[in-house]
Amino acid sequence: MALANSSMVGGDVSNWILVRRLLAMGWRYRRGCIRVLILQIILLTIGLSGLSLTGLGIDVIHSEIDADFSAPGWPFGFEPPIAWAAMSRIGLIAGVILALALVRAFLNYLYQMSVAHLVHAEIVLHLREMVYDKLQRLSFRFFDANASGSIINRVTGDVNSLRLFIDGVMIQGAIMVLSLAVYLTYMLHLHVTLTLACLATTPILWGVSVFFSSKVKPAYRRNRELYDELVRSLAESVQGIQTVKGFGREETRRELFFESNQRFRRQQRSIFWKVSLYSPTVGFLTQINMVVLLGYGGTLVFQGELALGTGLVVFAGLLQQFSGQVANIANIANRVQQSLIGARRVFEILDSPVEVSSKADAVHLPKARGAVRFDQVGFEYQEMDPTLKNIDFSVEPGQSVAIVGATGAGKSALVGLIPRFYDVTSGRLTIDSIDIRDFDLDDLRRNIGIVFQESFLFSNTVAANIAFGHPEATREQVEKAARVAAAHEFITELPKGYDTVLGESGATLSGGQRQRLAIARAVLLEPSILLLDDPTAAIDPETEHEILEAMQYAMEGRTTFIVAHRLSTLRRADKVVVLDRGAMVQTGRHEELMAQPGLYQRLARLQIVDDLRERDEILREVRPE
Amino acid sequence: MKPANLSLTQIQRADLRERQQRPLEFGLIKRMFTYTRPYAWKRNLLILLTLTRATQLPLLAWAVGTTISGPISHGQSDLLVVGVLVYAGLAFSTDFVFHFRQRYALELGESVMHDLRNELFVHLQRLPMSFYNTTRLGRIISRMTSDIETIRIGVQDVLFVSLVNLGQMVVSAALMLYYDWALFSVILAMAPILWSLNRYFRKRLSRGTRQVQESFSRVTSAIAESVSGIRVTQGFVRQATNLGIFRGLITDHSRNNLDVARTSAKLTPLLELNSQFFIAVLILLGGYRALYVDGVSGIGDLIQFFFLANLFFSPVQTLGNQFNQAMTAMAGAERVFRLLDREPEWQDDPDSENVPNIQGHIEFRQVTFGYDPKRPVLHDVSFVANPGQTIALVGHTGSGKSSIINLISKFYLSTAGEVLIDGRDIRAIAGLSLHRQMGTVQQQNFLFTGTVMENIRFGRPEATDEEVVAAVESLDCLDLIAVLSRGFATVVGERGSGISLGQRQLVCFARAMLADPRILILDEATSSIDTVTEARLQAALEKLLRSRTSFVVAHRLSTIRNADQVLVLDQGRLMERGTHDELLQVGGIYAGLYEQFSQEKNAPV
Repeated sequence: MALANSSMVGGDVSNWILVRRLLAMGWRYRRGCIRVLILQIILLTIGLSGLSLTGLGIDVIHSEIDADFSAPGWPFGFEPPIAWAAMSRIGLIAGVILALALVRAFLNYLYQMSVAHLVHAEIVLHLREMVYDKLQRLSFRFFDANASGSIINRVTGDVNSLRLFIDGVMIQGAIMVLSLAVYLTYMLHLHVTLTLACLATTPILWGVSVFFSSKVKPAYRRNRELYDELVRSLAESVQGIQTVKGFGREETRRELFFESNQRFRRQQRSIFWKVSLYSPTVGFLTQINMVVLLGYGGTLVFQGELALGTGLVVFAGLLQQFSGQVANIANIANRVQQSLIGARRVFEILDSPVEVSSKADAVHLPKARGAVRFDQVGFEYQEMDPTLKNIDFSVEPGQSVAIVGATGAGKSALVGLIPRFYDVTSGRLTIDSIDIRDFDLDDLRRNIGIVFQESFLFSNTVAANIAFGHPEATREQVEKAARVAAAHEFITELPKGYDTVLGESGATLSGGQRQRLAIARAVLLEPSILLLDDPTAAIDPETEHEILEAMQYAMEGRTTFIVAHRLSTLRRADKVVVLDRGAMVQTGRHEELMAQPGLYQRLARLQIVDDLRERDEILREVRPE
Repeated sequence: MKPANLSLTQIQRADLRERQQRPLEFGLIKRMFTYTRPYAWKRNLLILLTLTRATQLPLLAWAVGTTISGPISHGQSDLLVVGVLVYAGLAFSTDFVFHFRQRYALELGESVMHDLRNELFVHLQRLPMSFYNTTRLGRIISRMTSDIETIRIGVQDVLFVSLVNLGQMVVSAALMLYYDWALFSVILAMAPILWSLNRYFRKRLSRGTRQVQESFSRVTSAIAESVSGIRVTQGFVRQATNLGIFRGLITDHSRNNLDVARTSAKLTPLLELNSQFFIAVLILLGGYRALYVDGVSGIGDLIQFFFLANLFFSPVQTLGNQFNQAMTAMAGAERVFRLLDREPEWQDDPDSENVPNIQGHIEFRQVTFGYDPKRPVLHDVSFVANPGQTIALVGHTGSGKSSIINLISKFYLSTAGEVLIDGRDIRAIAGLSLHRQMGTVQQQNFLFTGTVMENIRFGRPEATDEEVVAAVESLDCLDLIAVLSRGFATVVGERGSGISLGQRQLVCFARAMLADPRILILDEATSSIDTVTEARLQAALEKLLRSRTSFVVAHRLSTIRNADQVLVLDQGRLMERGTHDELLQVGGIYAGLYEQFSQEKNAPV
C-alpha cells in the first residue's frame, strides 16, 4: 500500500504559539518551579554573603596592621564591641562563613533534589505516559507514515528536549536574570564607574558567544549526519557481508568506508578550529576585565575610594560570576531551539486525531454471531485515490471467504476494515446487521481474531505471547489454544516449554512456528470472526502444510476472511472474492470461477501450468499496459 | 494455574553487562599511544604546550595576587602599571598557547580514531563468514563507535589534561610553599579528603548511571515493541494493560534517575563546603599570622593564597574524573584490540593462485563439513556439476543446503574431502579471484542504501548506466523498475522505501546478471508474492540461470523442474541425485517431498 505522505497536523505551527503552549505547560508545574526558584534566591544571597564576609575578613586584618586603612564597615549596622580583640573579630567572621557554608550546602542539596524531582518524577514521567497512551490509540495511518525509530524517539529523546524548556529555559532563564540583576546592583553599589569600565567587554563577550553558536551549530548538525553515514556504511557492510564477499567486492565497500571516514575527519577539523578559537577568546575577554579591575580598581584602592577586601576582592569575585552567567545566555538560547524542536514533535503526537474511536452511545457486543456484510463499501487511503471501490458481498456466520488479487489490489485493506483499523469512506460494513461504527470499538475487536502476514511476537514467554489478548488466561486456556493451532507439541519441546522467552536471548522459532503461535493467540479469545491476512506469505513451502492444518482447525465454527494465493486454500473457501485494483471483479465458489473466463481463471492457470510457453502467454495477457 | 506473565518484554541485554572500566594496564596504554606515532611531532609539541600551560595558569593567579598584595595595598602606582602589564601579557600568551593545546589535542585524538577505524574495517573484512554468523551487528558497531571513542578520549584528554592539572598543582604548591609553608600544610591535609570524597561518589555515580541505562533500555525496548506490534496491540485490545506496564517501567526509570541525582546532589555541595571551609581556615590562620607574626607581609600571603588555593584544589576533582576516564578507556581499548587481534580462523593459502578464466566445473569429493568440526552437518558428499548446468538443492531446513553453497563460495573450508573447481582444489584458488567470477543472490535480497542503479552496479562497478539498464532489460523486467517513483534513481535500502518484495528480488537478480558470473549461487526467497509477479520472476530467473553453472537452494517448483540436476539432501547426506523426472520415477525421498509440495496444485480442478 502506498504510504501516506504525512498525516501529521501542525507541521508549521509558529514558534510563538509553541512557546505559549510550553509556558502554559510550565504553569502546570508552578509549585515545583517556584520552590526551585525560592531555593535559588536564598542560595544566591548566601553565596554573596560568604563572598563579602571574606572581603570583610581581609579588611579587618588589613586595618589592624596598617593604620592607613580605615576600619571597614560591618554589614547590617552590626558592630562588634570595641573591647573585642582583633582575633575574636576574625574568629567571628570565620565562624559565620563556615556556618553559612553549611546552610548553603544543605540548601544546595535541596535545590538539586527539587530540580531532579520536578524533571524526572513529574514532567518527564507525565509526558512519557501521555505520549505513550496517545500513541497506542493512533490509527495505523500514523504508523505507516512514520519510521519506527522516529516514533520511539518521540517518547524518549523528544520528551526530554521538551522538558528542557521548563527546567533549562524557564527556570534557568529566571535564575540568570535574577542573578545578573543582583550582581550588577552589588557591583554598582560598590563603585559605579568601575562597574561600567569592567563590564565594557560584556557586550563583546555576549556577541562572541552568539556568533560562535550560530557558526558551530550547523557544523555540528552536519557532523551528526556524516557520523550517521559512517556508521551506516559500516552497518551495511556487515549486514550485506555475504553479498560483498560473494561478489568479491570488499574493495568497493572499503573505499566507500575510507571515504566517509575521511570526510568525517575533515569536517571535524573545521569544527576543532572554531572551538579552539572560541574558548581562548572568551578566556581572554574575561581576563581583560581583570586587567581593568587591577589597573583602575587598584588605583581606586590607593586613592581610598575602594576597600581592598570588601571592595576589590569582592568585586573580582562578582565579576567572575557575572561573566559566567553572561556566557550562559548562549546556552539558554541553544536550549530554546532544542526544546522547540522536541516540543513540536511531541505535540504532533498529542495533537494527532484519533481517527477511529467508539461513539458516545456505542452498542455493546458481547458475542457476535458473525454475519458480515460489505454494503457498497469504498475506501480511500489517500484522498481522491480509492483503494477499494464499491465492494458488495455478505457472509453467513461460520462461512469462509478467500480474497485473491495482485499486490496492491486492496486485499489487506479490505480485511483491515473489519476490525476498523481504518474506517470505510463510503458505504457501510455491518456485523449481525449493525453498522460496525455503532459498536463499542473494544467490544468489536474482542470479537475478532487476527493473524497477520508476518506475525509480531513480543520478546516474552511463549505463554505470555499466546495470552496477549487476555493476560488473565489460565495455563489450561493457553494450552488449549496452542493445541487448536497445532503448536502444543513444538512448544513442549522448547527448552523451558511455555515459559521459554522468545527473541534476542531466547529461542528462535521458524516462520511456521511463529505463525502457529499467532494462530493460537488469535483463537484464545474464541472470536466469532477470524481474519487471516496471508499467513503463509513468509514461510517456505516445505513447512507450509503445518500452518494450513492449524488454520483449518482454527477456522472451524468461525466466520473467516482469508487472504490467499494458493489454490489449495482457495478451493476450500465457501466464497472467493477476486480483487483487481480495488474493484471486486469476480465472486463465487472456486469451481464456479474456474468455469468462467476471467482474472481468476488466469491466475489459477498460472499456478498450475507446466509448459513455459503457455506461462509466458498468460503473462502477456495479464501484464498491464 | 498461574496466570500468564504480565509484562510486555523480557529482555536481557548482554551488551549492558560488558565491563565499563578496567584497571590501568601498561601494555594497553603503550599500544594506544603507538597510534600517535605517525603524528609524533604534534604529540611532542602538545606535551610541550601542556607543560607551558601548566605553569602559565598559576603564574596568572600569582600575578593577580602579587599586584593586589604589593602595589595596590601599598599604593605604588608605577609598580601597579607594571603588574597590570605583566598580567595582560601573561593572559595573552596563556590564551595563545591554549588555542594550540586544545586544537592539537582534538586533532590528535581524531587522527588516532580515524586510523583505528580504517584498520578495524580492513580487519573486519578479512574475517571469514564464521565471524559474522556468530557476532551480532550491535557489538561490531559499538566497537567501532563507543569503544573507539573512549580510546580517543584516552589519547586526547587523559594524558594532556592530567599533565596540565598535575603541573598546575605542583607549580601552585611550590608558590604557596614559598609564601607560607604552614598555611600550605593545611591545604595539603585537605587534598586527600577531597580525593577520597570524589572517588567514593564517582563510584556510586557510575553504578547509578549503569542502572539508569538499564532501566532506560527497558523503557526503549518496550516502546520499540509497542510500535512494531501496534497492529497486534490494537487488534487484541491490549492498550490499557500495556499502558500499565509502561507506567511501571517509567516509574522505575524515574526512581533510578532520582537516585543518581541524589548522589550528585550530595557531591557538589560537599565539594563547595570544602572550599568554604578552606576560606574560613585561611582567614583565621592567615589573620593570626598577619596580626601576631608577620605583619604587613602576612596580609600579602593571605591574598596570594586566596587566589592560588583554588588552583591547587580544582585539579583534585579533575584528576579524579580523568582517572575514571582512563579506566573507561582501558575497557574500550581492551575490547577494540581484542577484536583487532582476532586472527581469521583460516586465510587463503599463501601459494593460492588467481584463476582468471573459470569454466565452472565443480566437484565435491567425499566432502565432510561442520561449522563446529566436532558436529558435522555434511557427511561424505560427492557430486559433479558440469559447466553451464543448473543444480537445484532440495531438502528440509537444516539438511545442509546452505552449507554446500557456503563451501562452493569458499566462505568456509571443508573439514574433510575436497571441493574442486575446474579440477583444482578450491584451497589453491585465491578467494577474491574466485568471488570476482561468482554472483550471489541472497534469500533476504539485501540492498544497500543508494539508488536502484547503484545497487545493480554493485555487481560490476565499472559498468555504464546503459549496461545496467541492459541487464534489467535482458531479464525482461524493465517495466517493474519503471513503475518505481523515480525509476532507476529511486533510493532504496531502508525499510519502507516504497519498493516491493518482488522488486527487491529483481534488483538482486539484475545485480547478478550484470556481473555475468561463471558461477551463480542463488538462495531463493521464501516469501510468496502474488501470482503474476511470481511468474514474472520465475521467467527472469530462468534467463539469469542460463549459460552459467548455477547452484540454487530451490523453493520454486519450476526451478527444480528445469534444473539439470537435483541434489536431495537429508540431515547432511546426499540421498538422491538426478533430474526431476528421474527422481520421480525412483519414488524415493524426492518423490515424497514433491507429493507434499504439489499435491494441492496438481489435483484436478
